[in-house]
Amino acid sequence: MTVSARFRGYAIAALGVALATTAGELANGRVTLADQAMLYLPAILVAALGGRGPSLAAAALSVAAFDFFFVPPKLTFAVSDARSLITFVVMFGVGSAIGSLVARLRTAEAASRERERRTAALLAFTRDAAAASEVGDVVAAVEKHVRELRDDHAFVDAVAHQAAVAVGRLELASAARESALRAKAEELRSALLSSVSHDLRTPLAAITGMATSLRDRADDRPADEREALDTIVEEAQRLSRILTNLLSITKVESGAEPRREWVPLEEIVGSALARLEHELADHPVSVAVPDGALAHVDPILVEQLLLNLLENAAKHTPSGTPIDVRVAREPGRAVLEIADRGPGVPVGARVFDKFVRGRTGAPGAGLGLAVCRGIATAHHGGIDVAARDGGGATFAVWFPDDEPMPEVEAS
Amino acid sequence: MRGELILIVEDEAPMRRFLCSALASHGFRVADAGTLAMAERVATESRPAAVLLDLGMPDGDGLDLLRRIREWSTAPVIVLSARDREDDKVVALDAGADDYLTKPFGTSELLARIRVALRHGRSSGAVDDDPILAIGPMRIDQARHEVTVDGELVHLTPIEFRLLALLARHAGKVLTHRQLLHDVWGPRDTHQTHYLRVHMAALRRKIEADPARPRWLTTEAGVGYRLKDE
Repeated sequence: MTVSARFRGYAIAALGVALATTAGELANGRVTLADQAMLYLPAILVAALGGRGPSLAAAALSVAAFDFFFVPPKLTFAVSDARSLITFVVMFGVGSAIGSLVARLRTAEAASRERERRTAALLAFTRDAAAASEVGDVVAAVEKHVRELRDDHAFVDAVAHQAAVAVGRLELASAARESALRAKAEELRSALLSSVSHDLRTPLAAITGMATSLRDRADDRPADEREALDTIVEEAQRLSRILTNLLSITKVESGAEPRREWVPLEEIVGSALARLEHELADHPVSVAVPDGALAHVDPILVEQLLLNLLENAAKHTPSGTPIDVRVAREPGRAVLEIADRGPGVPVGARVFDKFVRGRTGAPGAGLGLAVCRGIATAHHGGIDVAARDGGGATFAVWFPDDEPMPEVEAS
Repeated sequence: MRGELILIVEDEAPMRRFLCSALASHGFRVADAGTLAMAERVATESRPAAVLLDLGMPDGDGLDLLRRIREWSTAPVIVLSARDREDDKVVALDAGADDYLTKPFGTSELLARIRVALRHGRSSGAVDDDPILAIGPMRIDQARHEVTVDGELVHLTPIEFRLLALLARHAGKVLTHRQLLHDVWGPRDTHQTHYLRVHMAALRRKIEADPARPRWLTTEAGVGYRLKDE
């Protein structure tokens, strides 16, 4: 309440009392003393609208004016009749009670007006925040709306809360948008890769077939012609393996769960070795598999992994050097190791990253080891490479069991 | 004498040319079809001894043709498919295909599959009166439940014997996990693939010189097993 408003309250109180006194004087002789006292009540009531102070002032002034002008002996503050004291007390009591009631009412009214204003402001803010399409909009809305009610802590708290909700909503929406976009891109990539690889595979199959046909009839041709045909067949098959790797990496990177079964690792090793018979012809391969070593893996993916590791070893090590395949069961996991006697892998080389080319400059798309890591990771396992004692590299892959190994009765 | 008629169902012309020329140069007669509709007509009219069927045909699913052929014919069907389509191969084999070839393949693989398929095609339905099957170093006596490898008696469990005898009766041909489980364990256990794998590993240890590099009992990854016969 401003100073002038408070002053006006007191002025109204004084004026009211003066009017009541004037009215009492005019009616003097025709009314009783009690009626004259009554005339002050409207004055107190009107003054009370100005608050507790003016209402008390009006009550006190009324008592004083009544005493001075009407209570005998008149024009003194002396009181001859003790009964008038009761009138004073009642007048003052009624005045102050009315004043405090009105004052309380006014406070409540002011508070409710304040609440209304805050609610309206909060509503306006919420509307702006809801319309925000990025975090910057929310910040702007906070600045705009908090400026008016900066000192209202409850309001600032509420705005802060609403702003947090709005920012959270925006983050969620943007995460959803991003993941939808990513899924779309992934889908597109998968579709593209599988269509490309199908389109490439068909001519490759014809090339391989035709070249083997020619090779069959080339026994009486010069050696270099026969070799050329062999090379065509081998390279076509290598291309086909690269295509398979491209498809495998799409499959594991799309997050599709591997189709895990309990498989003797010996079986996977055996089928991988059979498929690479030609590539491994120059390398003595030893295999150490404990009897009944099972792993809970997707057999097709793990065969792909093994093909890549073996092909990698064959490609990057001098011909005639051995390749050792070892399988081990450790508590809760199966471990597969491929060790060679080649030049080893330089410390810190990121061999498992996509499109990182091999150690010896041999040809390859740099996809093989990335596929291996992808496959191991898809099984919640891992892959690592270490220098081997006595020279060479050891690649180790591990596959954790994700369920207890089943018993198979030997009947 | 003219060779047996092979029907080639393949939509890619270069691939079809390769198959035709490879088979013709090895004494077979060939008929070819670039669509399923044409293939069905040729199959009913000329009764081929075997069918090479590409599963991805432009006018429909090769599986449908396979099922329709199976309604009236036991002629061997070999499906042609890509490496990453193991599920398709299994479905085709379980639907009555006799074998498959994974693209890309060479003439020797092609001829080996055709020969095995034709041999099984001829013997199917006939009563197999010889209880003794001889494959490589193995002699499997189905009457006495005895197996020798290089003349040495090998002790097999009943399950191992049933597995080996089943594969031997279909020597050279792939059998799917499902087919093996169904015939050895019964119709209720066709999803317990790990039984099969573990017993197969045990069988290899008894039959193969180097079980990690099987010469006879080979794995067809994602599909099943094959007992080689050559």
